[in-house]
Amino acid sequence: MFGEQQRFMLLLIAPAALLLLLFQVVPIAIGANASFRNWALYNPKKTWVGLDHYHAVISDPAFLYVVLPNTFLFMVLSVTGALVVGLALALLLNRPFHGQKLVQTVLLVPLMVAPVVAAIMVRWMFNDQFGIVNAVLEAIGLDGQPWLVQRWSAFGIILLTDIWLWTPWFTLLLLAGLQSLPKEPFEAAAIDGTTTWRVFRFLTLPMLRPVIVVCVVIRAIDAFRTFDIVWTLTGGGPGRSTELFSLYAYVHAFLNLDLGRGSAAAIIGGLIILVIGVALYRLVDRIAKA
Amino acid sequence: MPMVRRPDFLPDLPSWSRKALFALALSAICLAFAFPVLWLMLTSVRPESGVYYVHRGTEFTLGNFAEVLRDDRIVEAFLNSALIATLATVFSLLVTVSSGYMLSRFTGPASRIWFGTIYVFRCVPYISWVLPLYFVTQSWGIYDTYLGLLLPHVAVHICFFSWLMKGFFDGIDPSMEYAAMIDGCTRWGAFVRVAIPSALPAISALAVLCWLFTWNEFLFALILTGNRVPMITVVMAQFVTEMGLRWNLMAATAVMALGPAFLLALFGQKYVIRGLRI
Repeated sequence: MFGEQQRFMLLLIAPAALLLLLFQVVPIAIGANASFRNWALYNPKKTWVGLDHYHAVISDPAFLYVVLPNTFLFMVLSVTGALVVGLALALLLNRPFHGQKLVQTVLLVPLMVAPVVAAIMVRWMFNDQFGIVNAVLEAIGLDGQPWLVQRWSAFGIILLTDIWLWTPWFTLLLLAGLQSLPKEPFEAAAIDGTTTWRVFRFLTLPMLRPVIVVCVVIRAIDAFRTFDIVWTLTGGGPGRSTELFSLYAYVHAFLNLDLGRGSAAAIIGGLIILVIGVALYRLVDRIAKA
Repeated sequence: MPMVRRPDFLPDLPSWSRKALFALALSAICLAFAFPVLWLMLTSVRPESGVYYVHRGTEFTLGNFAEVLRDDRIVEAFLNSALIATLATVFSLLVTVSSGYMLSRFTGPASRIWFGTIYVFRCVPYISWVLPLYFVTQSWGIYDTYLGLLLPHVAVHICFFSWLMKGFFDGIDPSMEYAAMIDGCTRWGAFVRVAIPSALPAISALAVLCWLFTWNEFLFALILTGNRVPMITVVMAQFVTEMGLRWNLMAATAVMALGPAFLLALFGQKYVIRGLRI
C-alpha cells in the first residue's frame, strides 16, 4: 500500500502519534464531551445540558473581569519583562570579561529551580511577619507590607517570580543566537565608528529578530497557562483576585467538583490560546521569510 | 561579535572607575538571581527557634535535614520523582528523536500535517487535557500509578521536543546519511548509525532539559496522583498550606529538591549551551 519511504516516515512518527492520540486527543475529546454535560460527582446520569456551562463561564463576572484580564496582563508583562532582562543579560555575556563563566552559571540558577520551590522561596521572603523583605524595609524605617494579601502587590510578586524564573531561558537562547551571528557586519560597523546604540538598533536587533520571535511565541503560550507559581504563592487570592485561567478551570473542576463547568472553562481557554498561537505562528512565518 | 571599540556610555570616566561600575553592576545582577536560593539555603540550616530572625542568629544546624529525612512520605516522594523523571527522559527521547528526524528530513504533506498537529497541541493549555485525563486514567485503572503519571509526562514532551529535535537535525548536513545509504545502509541504518551519533550533543541537551522539566513539574503530579505515588513538588506544595509555620523544615525539603537539579545542570550546562546553539 505504501512505498518504502512512506513506511519509514510512518514508523518514525508512529510511537509519538500513538501517545499523542491516547494522552492528548482522547482526553480533550472526553473533556469536550464533559463540557456539554452536567458532569458533577452527585449526578451519575451526566445529563446533557448543551452550551449551559459555556454560557455560565462567559457570563461569570469573575471570569470576564478578573480572570481574563489577569491572564492577558500576566502574559504580556511576563514575556516583555523576561525578554528585556534576558536580552540585556545575553548582550552582557556576549562580550568577554573575567569571571564570565561564573556569572553565566549564576544566571542559569533559576532554570534549575522548580516553579513550586521558587514560589515557596518568594513566599518566605515576602512573609509579612518574618520575611526578609519586610525586615529590610523596617530596618530602613519604612513600613512592612502584607504583600500577598493585597491584590496588586500579590500580582506583582507573582509576575516578578515568573520573570525571575524565565529570564535565563531568554538569556540562553538569545546568547546562542548572538554567538551564531556573522562577524563581518559588526567589524565593518566598528571600522566606521558606529555608536554602540546604533549597532544594537540597526545590526544586532534585526539579525536577532527570528530568535527573539521564536522565544516570545514559546514563552507567551506557556505564560498563558501558568499554574504552579500562582497556586503555591497565593492560591488565586486574596479572594479570587489573582486567579489566572488555569486556576479558574482547576478550582471549578476539583474544588467545586463541577467537572462540566471546569472543562468548559478549559476549552474556552484552549480556543483563545489556539487563536493567539496560530496568529503568532503566521507572524513568525512572515518574519522568517522577510 | 567583537566589540573592539570602547563602549560610549559614561565616556568621561577613567577606565578603572568604569571597570568598577561594571563589576558592581555584575555583582548586583548575580545577587538578584542567586539571592532567593541563598536565602532558602540559609533558612534550611537555622534551628526552629532561629527561623524568625534568619538574618541575625548565629546558630546553625543540619537537624532540619535529618528531621525531613525521617518522614517516610518525603523520602518516598523524592524516590518517585527521581524514578519518573529518569523513565520519562528515556522514553521521551526514544519517541521524539525519531519524530524530529522525520520532520527534518522529509517534506511533503505527511510532514506538514505532523508539524501542524504538533504545533496545535503544543498550544493547548495543560489544564485542558490534564483535567479530563484524570477520568481517563481512572477508567483505565492507571490513576495514581507510575504508569498513569509516566505516560502523560512522555506525551507532554512530544510536541516541544520534536520541534527542538527538528531544529537540531536541520543543522546537521544529511549528505553523510546519503553516503551511508549509497554504501548499502538501509534508511534505518542511516538514521541509527549516522544521524543519531552526529546529533548526540543535542540529544544530551534534550535529556538534561527533559529530566529537569519532569522533576520540576507540578500540575500533572497534582491531578494525576493521590496517596500512592506522592511526588516531591506536590508534597512541598501541601507542606506550604498544612505546615505553613515550619519554614525551617520546608526550606530543608526545598533545598534537597534543588540538589539533583543543581548537580545535573552543573554537569550538563555545557551540553545544554552547546546543544541549543545548533
